[in-house]
Amino acid sequence: MTEYYGSKLEDIFNTMEERFRPEGAEGVDAVFCYDITGEGGGKWRVTVRGGELKVEKTEGDLEGCSVTITTDPKTFIGVTLGKIDGGEAFSSGKIKVDGDIGLLTNVLPKLFTKYTPPAKDVTAKDIIDTVVERFRPDKAEGVDIIIGYDITGEGGGKWSIIVKDGTCTVKEGLESDCTVTMQMDAKVFVGLNLGLIDGTAAFTSGKVKIEGDMGAAALSAGLFERYRVGVVEGAEELVSLKCVPSIDQRFATGPVMGKWFDGLKEKKFYATKCPKCGRTQIPPREICAVCRVRCRDFVELGPKGTVTLIDDVYYASPDPLTGEVRETPYAGVYIVLDGASEEEAFAHEIKKEDIARIKPGMRVRPVWAEKRIGSYKDLLYFEIDE
Amino acid sequence: MAVHKEDTSHCYVQFGRMALPNQYFAGRVGSKFIIALRDEHKILGVRCDKCNKVFVPPREYCERCMSRLDENWVELSNEGVITNFTVVRYNDKHLPRKAPYVLALIKVDGADTPFAHIVEGIDPSKVRVGMRVKAVFAKETTNTILDIDHFEPM
Repeated sequence: MTEYYGSKLEDIFNTMEERFRPEGAEGVDAVFCYDITGEGGGKWRVTVRGGELKVEKTEGDLEGCSVTITTDPKTFIGVTLGKIDGGEAFSSGKIKVDGDIGLLTNVLPKLFTKYTPPAKDVTAKDIIDTVVERFRPDKAEGVDIIIGYDITGEGGGKWSIIVKDGTCTVKEGLESDCTVTMQMDAKVFVGLNLGLIDGTAAFTSGKVKIEGDMGAAALSAGLFERYRVGVVEGAEELVSLKCVPSIDQRFATGPVMGKWFDGLKEKKFYATKCPKCGRTQIPPREICAVCRVRCRDFVELGPKGTVTLIDDVYYASPDPLTGEVRETPYAGVYIVLDGASEEEAFAHEIKKEDIARIKPGMRVRPVWAEKRIGSYKDLLYFEIDE
Repeated sequence: MAVHKEDTSHCYVQFGRMALPNQYFAGRVGSKFIIALRDEHKILGVRCDKCNKVFVPPREYCERCMSRLDENWVELSNEGVITNFTVVRYNDKHLPRKAPYVLALIKVDGADTPFAHIVEGIDPSKVRVGMRVKAVFAKETTNTILDIDHFEPM
């Protein structure tokens, strides 16, 4: 079976049942016929009737069709995956439609969830295995280094890449005299090599640990062609550029915010208390935002509190400090800490495992970092207090 | 007047570094332009037959009549003329050269639009509008317009 864009026709038709959405099939009574000609082609009948789906591959003639789609495997897979524009393929004659075209444009998209190709799991070993063939001797003139990779987690391993006299060899295990050793999780290693993770961001956020000669680490990237997966012969090359400029930041806490950070070190929440209205402000602020008078008194709140509001977040903005996009979903919670004024909720995050259970009114407690340095990172998240 | 002295025992400074990840997609037309520079050392433009104009860098649509141009590629000369210029006299880490350097608008032969690039190999005070220059290609590719390293006087 011929593959296009990393998928086969069978993959698409065989997953139709699991992708079928009965709620989208209400009142639909139609037979979709696919006549896919050419290498790797075939004929399929997809019947949708009474909220039920039947997919059958057939050798004979396609009969009783509400609509028949005739195309070649490459176009069909390309359109399904969104690699080819369906409208353009239709107007250029690559897709021919016989029968009720409205079924394709209006009904079909509601019947199925989108097909996504099975992820080709690239392993760290796949990447290491191609190191020698990706080596560029022209870039390695006078280079004499040993790059050690300590890849942890699933699919991990230890390898040493020895570059010397314009040659490159790979050995299993870490050599004792590595010029530089890079330690990271296998997922990070694969992500970096596929260009899914930015190297600078991964390093600044501590996902990649580099020991030894940093210069050699920077140099090593240029010694190899990029690892490519599933490159289609004759495909059009498109240029996409990435860069991560960085801006140095300096934040002076001042006496009030500084007190807050010092409090976090001791697992304490300090709020300011307004001398006029008695309101607590957390994190503390110099001036009461309502009365506009200076607050000099600190009170300790919590550490436990009551949740008032929950935000489930499914799209995360990049972290401004690292450029990384965190995992989703996560949930922000507003917590009125014990002793706080009623309207003064403190916004933080709930433990991942508790997202599904958390409800307004629930009691929560903070979970602290083991090593606290007086930073916002000292407070990890809140968890349900049981 | 009595000056209230603040308690500074809790004051300290935190340092950070803000990363600004950027991604620029050159598009199909832009990619073809860059790839021709990189692999063949050729400057490509697109021609609008209706307006009788050749655009460099190439674009998908004619800015005047909105005709689609991406099938109408023309190969242009690596030589051209300075139509305007400025001397950059300050240094900044994002700039491609140390100051002073010449940033010029160069109209390559066969094109109707100029594009900005660096002119080297001449004292900045001697650069003139109308001067003929030719492209010097970069040894290392960056997949950008800087695959032409600079222009130099002929």
